[in-house]
Amino acid sequence: MSSEIILFIVVGTALAFDFTNGFHDTANVVATSISTGAARPQVAIGMAALLNFAGAFISISVAATVANDVVNADVITPTIVFAGLIGAIAWNLITWSFGLPSSSSHALIGGVVGSAVAAVGFDAVIAEGLVGKVLVPAIVAPILAFGVAGLSIGLIYRVVGKQRPGTVTRGFKYGQIVSGGLLALAHGTNDAQKTMGIITLALIANGSLAAGADPPFWVIASAAAAIALGTYSGGWRIIKTTGTRIIKMDAAQGFSSQGAGSAVILASTHFGFPLSTTHVINGGIMGAGAAKRVSAVRWGVAGNIVTAWLLTLPAAAAIGALTYGLTRIFGTGALGPVVVTLASLSLIVALFARRAERGAPVAASSG
Amino acid sequence: MIATLVEGKELLETVVASAVAGVGITFVFSIAIWGVARFADLSRSERPLAAGAAAVVAALALLATAAVVVIGILVMTGK
Repeated sequence: MSSEIILFIVVGTALAFDFTNGFHDTANVVATSISTGAARPQVAIGMAALLNFAGAFISISVAATVANDVVNADVITPTIVFAGLIGAIAWNLITWSFGLPSSSSHALIGGVVGSAVAAVGFDAVIAEGLVGKVLVPAIVAPILAFGVAGLSIGLIYRVVGKQRPGTVTRGFKYGQIVSGGLLALAHGTNDAQKTMGIITLALIANGSLAAGADPPFWVIASAAAAIALGTYSGGWRIIKTTGTRIIKMDAAQGFSSQGAGSAVILASTHFGFPLSTTHVINGGIMGAGAAKRVSAVRWGVAGNIVTAWLLTLPAAAAIGALTYGLTRIFGTGALGPVVVTLASLSLIVALFARRAERGAPVAASSG
Repeated sequence: MIATLVEGKELLETVVASAVAGVGITFVFSIAIWGVARFADLSRSERPLAAGAAAVVAALALLATAAVVVIGILVMTGK
């Protein structure tokens, strides 16, 4: 009975994480379309939510990586997964409150690795998977998106540079509807799968699934729904940072950064790399800005984002480890996860209440 | 040590596929916009033949863009 309660809490927490992932990452998908005026905010977010939902059904390669290649499923328990999820959600909310587009994916992997190490030691971590499928792609992906977007925008200016700006801008705004849609689809394929992978890992740890099993359909459908709902709810603070504070974008730059981001994410999904969509699209935006004029990028803002990226894995790991320690104070049963869940919910309500008191939520019109 | 941990071939294929798809879609869509812009200019200058050619280029480039998107999604997610 106790293990069923823990599993229920883990699935609920994983779906809550997926919701915050969609909420947090909405900016990655829609910010450039909104900031260039290619789409109205509610239309862009609605379309992104639908395509995130559809994208979640396309592939399960990334889910397999998260479930089988990062931590050793044989020594993982549902409580370890739960503590990792709390680490990821906490870090997502902290960076959200500062308006920083950090990586939900790295927060998730960091949280689970941290709690696993706290529980079992370093034997719980599969070094090949963590380095080869997470850390190296984490470094390569934003640089790749930076390069592809930079190359693309250079090509665009060369091809259409002498044409009437009005026609060109209008054309790229139409193009952004497609590139933004592609990015939303790519986001759904890569990010929703991380939650599927985590729930699958918990099911394997609980003995409900055999090791190496694919996610069941209900896991895929619920992860797709949670990320789509989160996306629809939107995260205006981060949209503002991504859409206007890194560079002041024109439609062609928006198109090239979204095109580069989609290409990198879809290619990575094909090989099962659980990539940070946040890193990729922000790398693309910086590349599109720097290729036009290096000083066009607000490097101070970019520096803050990079700092948040670097902190994400260790910070989420530390919170995951701490959470695991907290749950163990209450023994190995369901009491620990129940107490931590209630405490976390109280903290989240307090955080939102404080923000509401200050009138902090950023209005849609200011994005 | 790192070399044995990193799946070099898959990573290289990801880099190549991303670069080709990302730059490719931008290039063909830019050609489409160039075609539309030239069509508008040439139509205003009353040069129907050249305008027609620009329109054909734009239409073909738009088709190519759509093809790149569809093929890209199918190939990259079809594992």
